Parts: sequence; C-alpha cells; structure tokens
Amino acid sequence: MKRYLVFILLSFQGLWAQVQFETRVSKNTLGLNERLQVDFFMNIDGDNFNEPSFEGFRVVGGPMQQVSQSWINGKSSFEKVYTYYLLPNQKGSLVIKQATIEYNGKIYKTNPVRVNVTNAIEQPRDPNDVSVSADSNLHLVVDISKTNPYLNEPITVVYKLYFGYNSVVTNLRELNKPKYNDFWSQNIEIKQLVAQEGMFNGEKCPYAILKKVVLYPQKSGKLIIEPLSLDIDVQLPTNRRNIFGQMQIKEVSKRVSAGAKTISVKALPEAGKPADFSGAVGSFDFRVTPTKTELKNGESLDLVVSVAGKGNLKLFTLPKPVVPNALEMYDPVHTEQVNTPLSGMVGKMSDSYTIIPQYKGDYPIKPLQFSYFDLNLGRYRTITSQPIVVKVLDGPMANDAVAAHPGSHKNQVVVNEQFKYIKLDTKLEPMAVNDFFGSKLFYSLLLIPFGLLPIIVLAKKKKEAIDGDVVGNRIKRNNRLAKKYLSEAKKQINNKEPFYVALEKAMHNFLKAKLHIETSEMSKDNIKEILLSKNANPEAVNEFIALTENCEIARYAPSSSATIQKDYEKAVLIISDLEKQLS
Amino acid sequence: MKNIVYIILLVSQVFFAQSEFAKGNDLYKNGKYEQAIDAYTSELTAKKQSAELYFNIGNCYYKLNKVAPAIYNYEKALVLNPNDADIATNLRFAQKRTVDEIKVVPKVGFAKLLRDFTAIYHYNTWAWISVAFSVLFLLSFLGYYFSALTLNKRLFFFGMFLMLLMLLISVASAIFEKSHFKNERPAIVFAEMTDVRSEPQNKGASVVILHEGTKVFVKETVDNWRKIQLTDGSEGWIDSNAIREVK
Repeated sequence: MKRYLVFILLSFQGLWAQVQFETRVSKNTLGLNERLQVDFFMNIDGDNFNEPSFEGFRVVGGPMQQVSQSWINGKSSFEKVYTYYLLPNQKGSLVIKQATIEYNGKIYKTNPVRVNVTNAIEQPRDPNDVSVSADSNLHLVVDISKTNPYLNEPITVVYKLYFGYNSVVTNLRELNKPKYNDFWSQNIEIKQLVAQEGMFNGEKCPYAILKKVVLYPQKSGKLIIEPLSLDIDVQLPTNRRNIFGQMQIKEVSKRVSAGAKTISVKALPEAGKPADFSGAVGSFDFRVTPTKTELKNGESLDLVVSVAGKGNLKLFTLPKPVVPNALEMYDPVHTEQVNTPLSGMVGKMSDSYTIIPQYKGDYPIKPLQFSYFDLNLGRYRTITSQPIVVKVLDGPMANDAVAAHPGSHKNQVVVNEQFKYIKLDTKLEPMAVNDFFGSKLFYSLLLIPFGLLPIIVLAKKKKEAIDGDVVGNRIKRNNRLAKKYLSEAKKQINNKEPFYVALEKAMHNFLKAKLHIETSEMSKDNIKEILLSKNANPEAVNEFIALTENCEIARYAPSSSATIQKDYEKAVLIISDLEKQLS
Repeated sequence: MKNIVYIILLVSQVFFAQSEFAKGNDLYKNGKYEQAIDAYTSELTAKKQSAELYFNIGNCYYKLNKVAPAIYNYEKALVLNPNDADIATNLRFAQKRTVDEIKVVPKVGFAKLLRDFTAIYHYNTWAWISVAFSVLFLLSFLGYYFSALTLNKRLFFFGMFLMLLMLLISVASAIFEKSHFKNERPAIVFAEMTDVRSEPQNKGASVVILHEGTKVFVKETVDNWRKIQLTDGSEGWIDSNAIREVK
C-alpha cells in the first residue's frame, strides 16, 4: 500500500515537472523579403508573458493569443500560444531571445532561437493576396553594360524601377545597400527621380532610374554583384468604390529586390605586357613638361608629369621621374581633375615635382615611359616622353662644394673646375701585363745583393790571405813576368835585339820564381847548384845555362831569323821541362 | 733584309695603333662621339690599353649622357693611373649625373693610415723600390766592410740596417697593396634600375634600389649573384648582369 502511494506521488511529481515553454519558428532560414511566424508555446496557463525584444526584426503582426484545452480519453491537455509575425530588417544570423512567463511563482524561459536571414528570394505568387497586384506592377531591373569586361574596364550598373500606370509609389527605402566587393565603385547621384516611358516585357511601362553606379573591376575572375532590396510603399486601386463612386485606394508596402548578377572579369593579357605597366586601362595622353629648361642659380623649375584621357584615372600611379643627384627633387604635388559620367572616368591627373638645381652644368633627365592597356585596340601601348636637358647657367661647380669654406677668404680667387678635355697623347701598353712584383726577376733582383754578401766576404778574406803571403807573391810575380817577357819575345821575334833582351828577362824571372832567389844571387854556378839540388835534370840545366849565355852573345852577334825562331822554341821547351821537373 | 721587313711591320703596327687613337681624338673634336668611341674601342679589341684611352672613352660617353659607361671607363683609367687629377675631376662630373647619392663613409684609424701610405705607389713600383733598397743595402755593406775610417764604418753599419728596414717596409707595402688590389673589386651598376636584395634570390626582400652609375664593391659570388657593399657600408646581393666589374 505504501509502495503504491510512493509511486503515485512520484508520478505526480513527473507531471508537475512536465512544464513545456518553447519558441517555435516557421522556418530557420528565410529571405530578406519573407515573413517569419514565431509561436511561443506553453502547456500551462502561465501569467505575465514577457515577449523578447525582436532585434533585427519588425513586428508586422501579433501578438495573438490562443488558448485551447481538450479532454481526450480522460486526459486533459492545455495549450497557450502567443504568435508574432516578423519581417527581418537585415541579413545575417539573427537571434530571437528568451521570452518569460510566470507560473506558480516560478519563472520559465524559452531557449533562444537562431534564424538565418539570407538575400531576398523570389516569393511564390499568391493570387488571392492583395499585394499580388503590386507584384505584377512593381519590377526592379538591373542593367549592366558589360558582363565580361577586362580588368579595370568601366562597367555601368543602372537600377530601374518599373511600375504600372495605375500605381503610385509614395515612399522608397533602401534596405540592403549592395556592397561592390572587388570593384572600385563610383555612385552617380540622382537628385530627383524622374518617371520615364519604357518597355517592360513587351508592354509600355513607366520607369524611374533609382541608382547609377560605375564599377571598375579590381580582380579577374567571377565577381558577384549583390542584389539591391527596396521597401516600397505603393498605393494601388482596389475594386471597391466609395459612396461617391471613386475607386478606393489601398496602401501596400512591398519589398522588391533585383537579382544578383555575376560578372566574369577578364585579366589583361600577359603577352606584350610592358615592364613598367602600372595598371592603367583606357586611352590616354602622356606628357612630361618642365616649366623651363634654362635657369640661374637659386631658381627652381617644376616638372609636370601628366596623364589625360579616359580610363581608370584614379586607379594607377604616375611614373616617377629620375633625375641626377645634382638636382634636388622634392615630393610631388598631386592634382586630379576627374569627372565620372556614366561612361567612366574622364579627365587629367598630374604630379608636379619641384626641382632645384644645386650646381652649374647640364643635367639630362631621362625620358619617362608610360604604358597603358588600350581597350579599343586590345593591346598595350607605351608613350615615351622627350628627353629633357636642364641647363643651369651659373652657381657653384659640382666639385668645389667640398672645398668651399664660407667666410674663410673674402677675396679668394675661385678657379672654377672645368670638365677636362680629352688627352691627346698616350702610350698604349698590351693589356696582359705581367706583374713585376712576384715575378722571378723581382725575386732574383731582390736576393742577388744578399747572395753577393758572402762572396764578397770570402773574396776579401782570400785577398788578405794572399796579400799576407810575401814569398808566394814574389814567386807569382816572377812567374807572371816570365810569361810576360816570353810573350814579348814572341812578339819581337823579327827584331833580334829586343827579342833576346826579352828572352833573357823571361828566363831570369823564371829562375827567380822557381828558385826563390834574388837577381844579386844570380850566377851560373849558383843557379846550376840550386837547380840540381832541386832534382832538375842536369842535361836540361846545362841547356838552360847555355841558352842564357847564348842570349848575351846573340844580342850582338849576327844571327838569322831561323836561329831566333829556334832559340825561342828551345827556350819554351826548356822552361816547360824545368817546370815539370822542379814541381 | 728580313729584319728590315720585320722592323717596318712592327713600326707600322705602332704607327697604325697611334693613328686609331688620334682618329678618335679628331672625331671627338668634331663632336662625333659615337664614332670616336668606335675608334677608341678598336684599340681595346687589339688588346692595347692606357689610362688616357679609357679617359677619352669616358669623356665620349659623358658627352652622350651615358652615365654608367662614362663612370666605368673613368674608373678603369684610375686603376691604371690612380693619381691623375684630370680623371678624378671628370669622374666627379659624371658622378653628379648619377641618380643615387650614396654617402662615402670615410675609413678611419690605423688601417686607413696604413692604406694611405701604401697607396702612394702601385705594388709594382713598390717592388722596384724594394729592389733599389736591396742594392743600397749591398752598397752600404760594401762601404762598411771596406772603409778604413771608424766613423765611416759606423755610418755605413747604421745605414745598412736602415736600408734593410726600408727594404722590409717596401716589400710589406707591396704585399699589402697587392692583396688590397686583389680583394678590392669595384663595379659599376649598368642596369637603369635594379634591386639590391637581402638574399641571393629573387624572393629576397629588397634592401635598396640602385640606379645606373653607382659604384659598388663586390665581396662574394653565389651563382649569378654578387654580394656587394655600397660606399656607405651597407651590403646586399645584386644580379651579376646588373653590374660590370672594373678590374
């Protein structure tokens, strides 16, 4: 029994806990022009219902309260629903926040619900709706001048609103301004909407141009233009008439949108693209004009680089002039005079550089090049400006700027340095010159003096040694004299007297050298004795003495040239013999 | 007879070469600078050169407003004749026409003093000077060795060591100057405009943009990239086609 009671209690608990309070939306994804039904559903009779603030929505209907209670097979069910109709104001992910109720002193909350609002979609037609006639009457049309332009080629987008003859547009609100991503856009202001006559679907229909935009695609590939959505209040005649028989007018609010468009942008051709191409597309004229080309010291000149014509004028940069460093160039003043009619930008863009020369002389400014893509020709064109030479007539020379000391000498005579004339004389040399430094010649020349040092030292030592040896020197001298006289004798072989004198002297000196004796000691006996003691052959000694005696006699006696020759040969023979024996 | 023919041939060669230079001078005088360049360069193709020849070619290019070749030829002339005032003057004129104005950071300190001293002469001249000192050393040794007077002996002995010292200095100068000559590789930017990059590849970030006529010093080589140093000391890599080395 007790167990049943507990069970019943528990099941009641369960019933109590079964409070349901939730938000139900008709759809989670909807277009900007669609309505959303939001039901706050509860299965209890709660009080103090608090609706959430519907941020991003406009409440077009509600709240409507609906209560139903039913008993089925003894089971009671209770339902209470608050219903709202909402219209989104913006695209994106919107949240319907929590609603609260109070029941038995407790507060219950719903879960927040997320709703995705996408671009406006075409709504299915409902012929019974009042707004259907508005649907058939109001058309927003987008005219795009070109759907496959080149990069940076202008295209125009015109939004036209067609409306029926019997409808009156009273108010227009732009809901969703299209953003032109990847385009450079210029909106052309329309001051007053003017109704014009046009054709739509083969019918005559008045229209007004709502919006004109010039677009310059900045990216190649498929680009999407977002749709434009408008809220239009329109007065439409109904079938009913008032008591005066006039047609009753009904005011309808209608949302229209022009569908998204895809534009495929062609990239500019790579073939023949100049290196200095900076993105200019159109047709242009390029000019570089200096205000003057001859100036005095301290004057300045303006160099105007200008591009005039039709094309994406604001969307590229002008080429920058390059000047020698003797000219001081300041940052440019940029001016634009550009009008944007529907056909695209037209006008002139220029950079004005102020240039102040610093030194005297002629300075060339290199020609500038400007390249653009010509849409008419479909290829690149390059315009080259004329070269400009700036003549600075006076002023400091380029080179004495360093030497100038202000206020050093007042009356200093400054000789201006001039550009030097060519040299008229030269000494041409072959190109491949062998370096002297490091060559064998260099090393040998460098080291020869050092190599000579020991030789000189040794030579001097030797000389001193020789000088010190007195006897040896004498022998040497006598030997030399002997040879000298012998050769003299040979010369005088035709003159008898000098021949014999020389021969005798030669022999005497020979003896002096060999026997180490002085002239005073020279006597035949003495000579013979010494010679023999020195192991000389006695026969040769005798012959030698005979020859010396013969010399004395022959000097005064007549003798033929044959005997002189014979005596000479004999002397040579004896001397050489003795030399061999004595050594 | 054969000898005479050879001599005539040789002499006429010299004569012909000189006339080509003179022809260039005449053309220059008449303002025909382009033809003058042709005349002068025919000397170069005959493997002959001189500082004056390069100087005249530089003048022609200067008159034709071609800055980079003008500076290039002046620098070449200065390599052959570093102390010529005319070349230095005209080089300064040409440099005023270049676009880049890069500061020349002066070197300071002992290295600068040393270089100032060794730069007085070309290293070949230093070599001859050292040979002269070597001979003087020998002479003073002879003087020392053979002079009888004590005073003379002392003087020559001192002179001997002085000469040895001078000899060593001049040989060291020659070595220093030669290594400097080999390591210093000046080059002139010929491209009208070129990027100096932080790395030897096209992706490398651009450090600075150089215009034609700017003097740089080549430090290293990687493929067809050259590591260069500007006169203000900053460094970077440049495409080898954009520059021409002077030496």
